Amino acid sequence: MKAYLSVFRMRWRMELQYRGAVVGGIICQVFFGLILVALYRALYQSKPQTMPMESVATYVWLQQAFFRMLLASDADLLDKIRTGAIAYDLCRPLQLYGYYYARILAQKLLGSLLRAAPMLAFASLLPAGWGLHLPASPAGLALALVGLALGLLCVCALENITMGFTMRTLDSRGVQAMLNLMMMTLSGNILPLTLFPDSWQRVITLLPYAQLLDAPIRLYTGQWLPADAPRILMTQLLWTAALVFLGLMLWKRNQQRLVIQGG
Amino acid sequence: MNTIKLYFRSMAMLLKSQLQYPASFFMQTLAQLVMEGGEMLAVILIVDRFGRLGQWMPGDLFFFFGMMSVTFYLTEFFGRGVTGNFSSLVRSGQLDTLLLRPRGVLTQVLCSAIDPRRVSCIAVGVAALVIGSGMSKVQWTVLKGLAMAESILLGVLLVLGLFLIEAVFSIHSVKSVELVNALTYGGRSACQYPIDIFPRPLRLIFTVVAPFALTLHVPAAYILGKPLYGWPDWTAFVTPLAGAALFAVMYAVFQRAMRFYRSTGS
Repeated sequence: MKAYLSVFRMRWRMELQYRGAVVGGIICQVFFGLILVALYRALYQSKPQTMPMESVATYVWLQQAFFRMLLASDADLLDKIRTGAIAYDLCRPLQLYGYYYARILAQKLLGSLLRAAPMLAFASLLPAGWGLHLPASPAGLALALVGLALGLLCVCALENITMGFTMRTLDSRGVQAMLNLMMMTLSGNILPLTLFPDSWQRVITLLPYAQLLDAPIRLYTGQWLPADAPRILMTQLLWTAALVFLGLMLWKRNQQRLVIQGG
Repeated sequence: MNTIKLYFRSMAMLLKSQLQYPASFFMQTLAQLVMEGGEMLAVILIVDRFGRLGQWMPGDLFFFFGMMSVTFYLTEFFGRGVTGNFSSLVRSGQLDTLLLRPRGVLTQVLCSAIDPRRVSCIAVGVAALVIGSGMSKVQWTVLKGLAMAESILLGVLLVLGLFLIEAVFSIHSVKSVELVNALTYGGRSACQYPIDIFPRPLRLIFTVVAPFALTLHVPAAYILGKPLYGWPDWTAFVTPLAGAALFAVMYAVFQRAMRFYRSTGS
């Protein structure tokens, strides 16, 4: 356990090195948020919906702020697999799955925390209907935070599985792009899941993609009440357990029939 | 003339080399198709839920979406050298080699890359244009066809010009150039919807700074028979020149910036 913790800490420090790049990224992301809110406001003027505009704006800002958690971003690891440098990782006296899990977790957590704090501060200063709104209730906020943490664990497990698949195919760019798209669409980044057709929502909200951001945001905006929370948190827990189990199996099999690339 | 011949020769060569790995090429093209299909799905779902956007009917929205994706991805297809990763040329010092050859830097950069995978994104855009013009019952005339061709052509120059800003940024400082993405990719995301739905500050940015509204939206609105801001028809042929103007300005700035280029070495 201590080893995985230190992997996490090392990765965390590395992320902190690139603070300059973060600023440009934040401004760009804020601009995207403004464009999206403006678009939904224009749509709402034509035809108001049952879900209030304030909730849509809040949804957009929370999505933009935690955008980094969605992206499969460990280009390093992909390179390692392609060049064969992954052989060095295999020599470490660690369980590979846990090693990568810690890496991905640190990257997603710090990458998004660094960005989320200033962005959410900015968004909460915007006028009503444009910016981030207060949570529906203190209980909603607390449950949303728990949900976000569980969602993050779930998504890291999901990404670890895609990494495992990368080891089997050499050129993973096609598959990677496809998975990224599923992630962006089905987690509500391209269009809030709350604006999908109602019949679709019943299925989409059960998928692992929706667990990361959609579920906590709905708890935050009060669209799902604290009374619904046990059901939601259970779904998240079940997915996390299932995906971790699947990932462990996959990595184990990968190591048994491993072919290292490069020379 | 020689330069253009050179450009097409290298395009043919690059295309051939990319097709050497057909399976990988096919997978990536498919991925692009799914990606752009996802963008279009968002428009479809919005239309499904909201019906219309201001004065614009569903067909109009598909048409605007199609104009933007055809323009943007044509640029990425043929101008990959500029839209791809110019900053990495600077960071790695590869730009130095281009300075040694008896051709312009921009020509060489443009000749250095092509992205044929984008053909699937362009196909999605064309499909959106066809569906949109069908749904909105556009009465096509020769003039409208010309307006569309001019708009897309100059739109390509506009997008190239915007990516040149990024290139200039990366020449002056090797650090983060992510900021310019707000204009390029932000412009694409915003201006796949008609400009008049946005509040004034955003409208100003995409009319004056990155004139997507002038280059794409004015002609598109003319073709759809709902002139933007009630402007007369002839404006649809004049305003797209803003795209060419931006490219000309950025070309000059780029040439100037190259004089200050210092190699990063190594």
